Amino acid sequence: MLSLAARRSWRRHATGYAFAGPALVILAAFLVYPIGYSVWLSFHEWDGYTPSWGPFVGLENYRALIADEVFWRATLNSVVFVAVRTPLEVGIGFLLALLLNRRLAARSLLRTLFFVPVVMSLIVVTLIFQRVFEPNTGLLNTFLRAVGLGAWAHPWLGDPATALPAVIAVSVWKNVGFSLVILLAGLQSLPQDVVEAARVDGANAWQLTLRVITPLMRPILALTALLSIIGGLKVFDLVFIMTRGGPTYSTEVLATMLYREAFELNHMGIASAVAVILVALVLSIARVQTFVLNESRQGGRA
Amino acid sequence: MSTVVASAAIARRQRRLSRGALAGRAGMWVVLLAALILSVAPGVYMLSVSFMDNPQLFAGRLVPWPPHAENYPRAWVASNIGRLYWNSIYVSTVSMIATLAISALAGYGLGRIRFAGRSIVYGIVLIGLTIPLQIALIPLFMNLRTLGLLNTRFALIGPYTGFGLAFGTFIMKGFFEGLPRELEEAARLDGAGELGIFARVMLPLTRPALATVAIFLFLQNWNEFLFALTFITEGRMRTLPTGIYALLSSEFYGNYPILAASLVLFSVPVLLLYFVFQQQFVEGLTAGALKH
Repeated sequence: MLSLAARRSWRRHATGYAFAGPALVILAAFLVYPIGYSVWLSFHEWDGYTPSWGPFVGLENYRALIADEVFWRATLNSVVFVAVRTPLEVGIGFLLALLLNRRLAARSLLRTLFFVPVVMSLIVVTLIFQRVFEPNTGLLNTFLRAVGLGAWAHPWLGDPATALPAVIAVSVWKNVGFSLVILLAGLQSLPQDVVEAARVDGANAWQLTLRVITPLMRPILALTALLSIIGGLKVFDLVFIMTRGGPTYSTEVLATMLYREAFELNHMGIASAVAVILVALVLSIARVQTFVLNESRQGGRA
Repeated sequence: MSTVVASAAIARRQRRLSRGALAGRAGMWVVLLAALILSVAPGVYMLSVSFMDNPQLFAGRLVPWPPHAENYPRAWVASNIGRLYWNSIYVSTVSMIATLAISALAGYGLGRIRFAGRSIVYGIVLIGLTIPLQIALIPLFMNLRTLGLLNTRFALIGPYTGFGLAFGTFIMKGFFEGLPRELEEAARLDGAGELGIFARVMLPLTRPALATVAIFLFLQNWNEFLFALTFITEGRMRTLPTGIYALLSSEFYGNYPILAASLVLFSVPVLLLYFVFQQQFVEGLTAGALKH
């Protein structure tokens, strides 16, 4: 026989699961199960067509990846993508946030317009920029020729040397507004007494920004950077639509490689191995994020 | 007294720095204007191209004069955009509502009821928040194919509901946690059951959070490309992003003005909503980052 207290706590657990149950079932079906499936499939060989998976090959798919130049190319491109995009996104976003964080005519209008690229669909953005970068009649080259810099005109997306920078530029363009808004919210939540005290002590705008505001903003800057890194590692649409990973793999990233291995080459095992590596990469960065957030929480503010 | 001295000092400094300050202000406006032009120009360019014909475009024109408004009806027909709109609205809305309902329930359970295993469930939610959805691409494709569900609306509604859930639950849990205990106790004294407390007392208070989540989910579903590309391979069930993408490989390949007109038609509803509900959009899109 259950005591009253035990019955009550049993009831509480049951109620909890009644509320969280539907979410749990769906998360299990769309998250937990696919992760398990992918990990298990990554140890097999399969073309995706035979009714049952091919033979168990252990770590063979991973070994094949390590020996695959394209995989390293994709990994390197993913790293370069993130390493270039994140500082630009956070840096430009912070600069604009600092400029908007003062009494300014049209401040909210500017913020609204800076955020437009974030709201726009990636496919729209990508197709516009494809046109902008078009070699013969595209906007960028037309502009360069018009101002006498015709020598700089260039098949931006067709040249392996400039394709990745061009894709990164679009990505920065799309996401700066996001960093800006987060950082502006951060600036507005800074302890005003500290900033004011420094101002009264005679700090000029530069000193104020570099010595007072930036150190206070460090946790939020770190958070913005981590979000940008995670977003950058996951990038797919942008690269896929813009260059499909080409020319000659110069813009191939892990996510586009996954898609190509799975749905163009029918290497389901290898594609799953790429997916597992991508997830491991993202989750390890996310660990850092939790760590930084805890640090900043211990700092009390932010 | 000291305030007077301080403000006098500030005034003196400001006068001394006025030339530098002026240069600073000018520099600031140069940066802001450059950023403004860069933010807006590509969209304006798309709008402009959508009114050109190919000769105007290839001549490198910026202003579409004379305008070719007939691009719009042609784009409408070419990409069967009415159908795409309907599919996108259907899929985005149904998934959004499903996610919203399920994550409100889960947010309440996780935020207000101390049940065993709660932190494990929440851990799964947190993983779902960051994990790249590419991990589910192959498993979902294979299972949808086995079940004969590829090229159906469910092929998108199911995954969209599932992948919005982590975000929705995360935000709703945070919000439910913050609601005062007294409300709940008062309702309990009045004899309300757990479901009644949730539905009649707590849920109405979470309207701002629901709006935030709804906007985020709707936009995410509206713009989603990878699943739509992989799970829908026939024209009939395509949503706007992949439907427009398919134009690239159709007879309209190379007819950029038609494509631009489709892009405008695709973007306009969302941009209009954005300009009306700015605050909610900004909150919705940055909530995941700011509410940690």
